[in-house]
Amino acid sequence: MTEAMPAPPKLSDPERRTAFLLSLPAAMILLIMFILPLGLLLGVSFTGPEGFSLAAYQRLLTTPHYLSVIWNSLKLALVTTALTFLIGYPASFAIARARGGWRSLMLGCLFLPLAASVIVKAFAWTILLRSDGIINSTLMLLGIIDEPVRMIFTQTALIVGSANVFLPFMILPIFAVVAQLDPRLGEAAAMLGANPAVAFLKVTLPVTMPGIIAGVALVFSLSVSAYVVPTLLIGERYPTLAATIAKAYLLTQQPAFGAAAGVVLLSIAIAVVILSSRFGRSSGGLS
Amino acid sequence: MYKTSIHRRSLLKAGGALVVASLSAPSILRAQTKEIVIGGPAGAAKYFTESVFPLLKQKLGVTVLYEGSNSATNLQKMQADSAAPKFSVVVMDDPIMIKAADGGLLMPISTSGVPNLGKLVAGAVHRDGMWANYQRPWAGIAYNTKSGAPKAWADMWDKARAGKIIIPSIQNTEGFWNLLIAAHLETGKPFAEAQYEIDAGFKKLKSLVPNLLNVYTNAPQAMNLLEQGEAQMIGGQFSAYTLTRKAEGAPVDLRIPAEGGFAMPSGIAKVKGGPAPELADAVIDAFLGTEIQAVLAAKAVVAPTNTDAAIPAGYPDPASLFAPDWAFVAKERGKWAERWTTELL
Repeated sequence: MTEAMPAPPKLSDPERRTAFLLSLPAAMILLIMFILPLGLLLGVSFTGPEGFSLAAYQRLLTTPHYLSVIWNSLKLALVTTALTFLIGYPASFAIARARGGWRSLMLGCLFLPLAASVIVKAFAWTILLRSDGIINSTLMLLGIIDEPVRMIFTQTALIVGSANVFLPFMILPIFAVVAQLDPRLGEAAAMLGANPAVAFLKVTLPVTMPGIIAGVALVFSLSVSAYVVPTLLIGERYPTLAATIAKAYLLTQQPAFGAAAGVVLLSIAIAVVILSSRFGRSSGGLS
Repeated sequence: MYKTSIHRRSLLKAGGALVVASLSAPSILRAQTKEIVIGGPAGAAKYFTESVFPLLKQKLGVTVLYEGSNSATNLQKMQADSAAPKFSVVVMDDPIMIKAADGGLLMPISTSGVPNLGKLVAGAVHRDGMWANYQRPWAGIAYNTKSGAPKAWADMWDKARAGKIIIPSIQNTEGFWNLLIAAHLETGKPFAEAQYEIDAGFKKLKSLVPNLLNVYTNAPQAMNLLEQGEAQMIGGQFSAYTLTRKAEGAPVDLRIPAEGGFAMPSGIAKVKGGPAPELADAVIDAFLGTEIQAVLAAKAVVAPTNTDAAIPAGYPDPASLFAPDWAFVAKERGKWAERWTTELL
């Protein structure tokens, strides 16, 4: 399935200069807005009252409470990623296989919620999940429960809300890959004797792996660092790394500790992206 | 191969002109439209925008750009922008004002620029004009009227209210009231002594956890849940939030329980080195004047601080309101925030 990319043509000196000039604004933006602040963040994280110090990292990585905070962020990201994948993977095929107005409608349903603020979506979930909200009312109407079940400010509410907010970021990369697939691939596998399950596992899943990996990396990175969604859907009772950073800067005025938490959070996100891309290369998906 | 017509010099010139134009345009526009940036509490944004800022526009011709957040966030912004402040005026609680003043972020005001400063009640001007209280809200238990009024602070611990109580985070200034009440209930000491019994406060507050629906940092969300009946009470909520919603017809009210309520002065200050310093004086003077104070008193049922303004009907007896040692709160709150997260939640 993998095709070798053609080598880029050699550029002349004037072309190189033009290319350099054209890339300069983007490079400067990256340097000023991304690399420089990250360098400062890293520097601050290693400071203490008497200069260089590892105290912030020691406190973050050895205190049971802060280890549970790191685990909370990881758990939220892992469950959100798994849930969005389970919903998003078949949904991507449905959109890719739909034709004409149906496809436009489905894509519209996917894109329109992106225009709504995360805050609005989080508030909407608190309305849906409350005691007299539509979910409790429906469950009671169907006789599944006798009295309202507490859903708001629970981990279930957090996961449901988080999956809802980040679902488009799983669907879109997978859809982009699935839309390019030749539908005859499945037929070819069947003609060669593969049953539908084998055809899916041996053909469809591997060729859609680049989309899956991109979706997983996106959703994991976004949900591990989410601040607004946990703050509004569960509050202080589910402390996360993002909330710890905010508290360190805004309330306890401990910039080194906040910076260290930021570095740990960033390291987790970077590790997932690197692992994903390595897995993508080794899985042999479409290049 | 095409030959590019872009020359480095022309590119740099065009880029430079663009940067200068984009940086200078907003300040030119600001100068023309007489704007001022005020940082203040998010919960006050609605009634400030509807009732106070139109008066400022009418009296001073100034358009207010309001940045609503919690006080701790605004303090952080002031620290970050201290070299080139964005805010001209800040509206914050006294414990945060103490930190801002200690950090050298405020510019003292005087009667020469702010004449109404001389007309305030005793104790409303702090540290020789570093900041002044423009209103005195009061705090008690906010409750949903359908679930019945609480009689005592201890009602929040009633097992029948499991999952129905909301309290503010210690990150919010009003979060201190529940710690103080818990210390009072645990030790039996009066508020004046109980405010220093923080260990006892944490112990008692821990027993409130089964009753908690949420610990909020976002007051409007908490009020929303109270209005919907999802929560029955918010402990330590104050008049400026609850009674404005009551006035608009929401099924909520505020009660001072048997043990007493709390005074929660709101301050206004001029930011050191902030833009438009003369306009900042004029805006602060207007906040301390009778016209705006009368509007705030009527809208939020807060006591005015200008001696010429009338205390509104429904304002509780000031003797029933306890004012804590804010300097102690300001000094210790960071440590309490750590304990709050690690021990309580």
